[in-house]
Amino acid sequence: MREVAIVGVGGMRFGKYADRSIRALGEEACINAIRDAGMKPRDIQLAYAGNLAQWEWGQGLLIGHSVLRELGLTKIPISRVENGCATGSCAFREAWYKVATGACDTALAFGVEQMTVTGSEKILNVFTGRQHAERDGDMGNSAPGLFALMARRHMAEFGTTREQIAMVAVKNRRYGALNPEAQLTDPVTLEEVLNARMICDPLTLPQCCPRGDGAAAVVLSAAGIARRFNSAPVSVAASVQVSGSYSDAGSYTFFDTDVRAAEAAYRMAGLGPGDIDLAEVHDCFSVAELVHYEDLGFCRKGEGGRFVEEGQSGIGGKTPVNTSGGLLSKGHVIGATGISQIVELVRQLRGQAGKRQVEGARVALQHNGGGFIHTDTASCFIHILKN
Amino acid sequence: MFDTMDLLPGEECVSTRSDNRKLIEEGWFRDFGDGLALAGGQCLACGGIFFPEKPVCPNCFDPARKKVPLSRKGKLHTFALSHMGPGGIPTPFVIGFVELPEGIKLFSLITQCEPWDKVLKVGMDVEMVIETIRRDEEGNEIVGYKFRPVPEGNP
Repeated sequence: MREVAIVGVGGMRFGKYADRSIRALGEEACINAIRDAGMKPRDIQLAYAGNLAQWEWGQGLLIGHSVLRELGLTKIPISRVENGCATGSCAFREAWYKVATGACDTALAFGVEQMTVTGSEKILNVFTGRQHAERDGDMGNSAPGLFALMARRHMAEFGTTREQIAMVAVKNRRYGALNPEAQLTDPVTLEEVLNARMICDPLTLPQCCPRGDGAAAVVLSAAGIARRFNSAPVSVAASVQVSGSYSDAGSYTFFDTDVRAAEAAYRMAGLGPGDIDLAEVHDCFSVAELVHYEDLGFCRKGEGGRFVEEGQSGIGGKTPVNTSGGLLSKGHVIGATGISQIVELVRQLRGQAGKRQVEGARVALQHNGGGFIHTDTASCFIHILKN
Repeated sequence: MFDTMDLLPGEECVSTRSDNRKLIEEGWFRDFGDGLALAGGQCLACGGIFFPEKPVCPNCFDPARKKVPLSRKGKLHTFALSHMGPGGIPTPFVIGFVELPEGIKLFSLITQCEPWDKVLKVGMDVEMVIETIRRDEEGNEIVGYKFRPVPEGNP
């Protein structure tokens, strides 16, 4: 397979946009990315759209075609993909794969979601699947529940504290306040996080990501032609996708998907965790980020609590994580989340991240987990980017 | 099948048994001779046990299997107090993963454990009971398995 570069990125501020069409959200991010690439729509040969669900109303089916038609991007192959909370990363990986294998020389990947048009209960029921035969959702389980269960086991096994877990939210909200595209831009203190409304003990409200509306987009090209479009292309050094094993074995303190995907991604890039200058990881809940530190090899198993407490996952630390503010600040705009992580990392690698810039960043890792069945995420994507 | 539920230890709702009580999934339970137990599917080729029963063995793809009772006792792997969840279950409620000796991890509601933050410990012994899980939209009582701490003097 040949080398692929990211030549354009486009984001928008995530938030509540019930008064706009989902199509308009997608258009905004795609226009930003195509402009950033210095391209015209006719330069793009293929496109993938990530969109999880048509939550209540609005165009869900053929979302890629209806967004891109407005920009004059017609006739080319366009597909929509879905892969749970990693839907955006799936769109990116499919576009990468088509360029890497020579099926096309340029491609667009975007993700869009509009979730504030519906209520929390509808979202919960879509996620936990009343209509499925899967046993857990019907019996009181939920996304916060799954992560609270992991938090408790981590606390019991490794002595991780409530305070350490809450520090993830404090850190991410601090960076969210520096990101003009984040939904929540007010920092929170440790006391505020610990004393906030309990959602699923030990996780309080600021430790659970909000939902939202928005879109994000990237443009890819074969590395050999990247400089035609952009003077600072970012190379895709690894792209890995795995699915869950749903094992009943072992301690419920890690994601088997993470471990397998990380191993494959480091092998593909010829790099190790020590080479990663910064990362965007799937912090849907505070404890998830802490576990990802361990699974991705940023620290040893059981030491995630100390890693965040010592500031090792902050800017200036060993491996800064979620300088965008993460899902905890941006909101989890499902179809857009994975692409939005890549947008942040490309800006960092270009030195365009403003007040949250990680100085001298050369290698970045993106991690996005999708869905949950029993004891494991259903899908996991890891991308390693280099400038 | 339903009558056997009356015989189970820990059954809270015997007196209200009526037509509007439903098992959460018929296929999860069977009376193997001493009351309702969780029924796993055991592959006749490799011996692996799975719950709920799968259409084929996930290890060897062999369709031949038999229903076997799962242990009523296990270890509390982890737990949490949920203040939110699917409709029909009054909040807050305690959830957990329970490890059975068969090597199976079960998601379960944890019951009879107040005060939960004093009573429950990771790794403690728990046992299965049949209780009402929730009420559905039509007012039916949905009945299924839960786990509770093993009462003292009943190891």
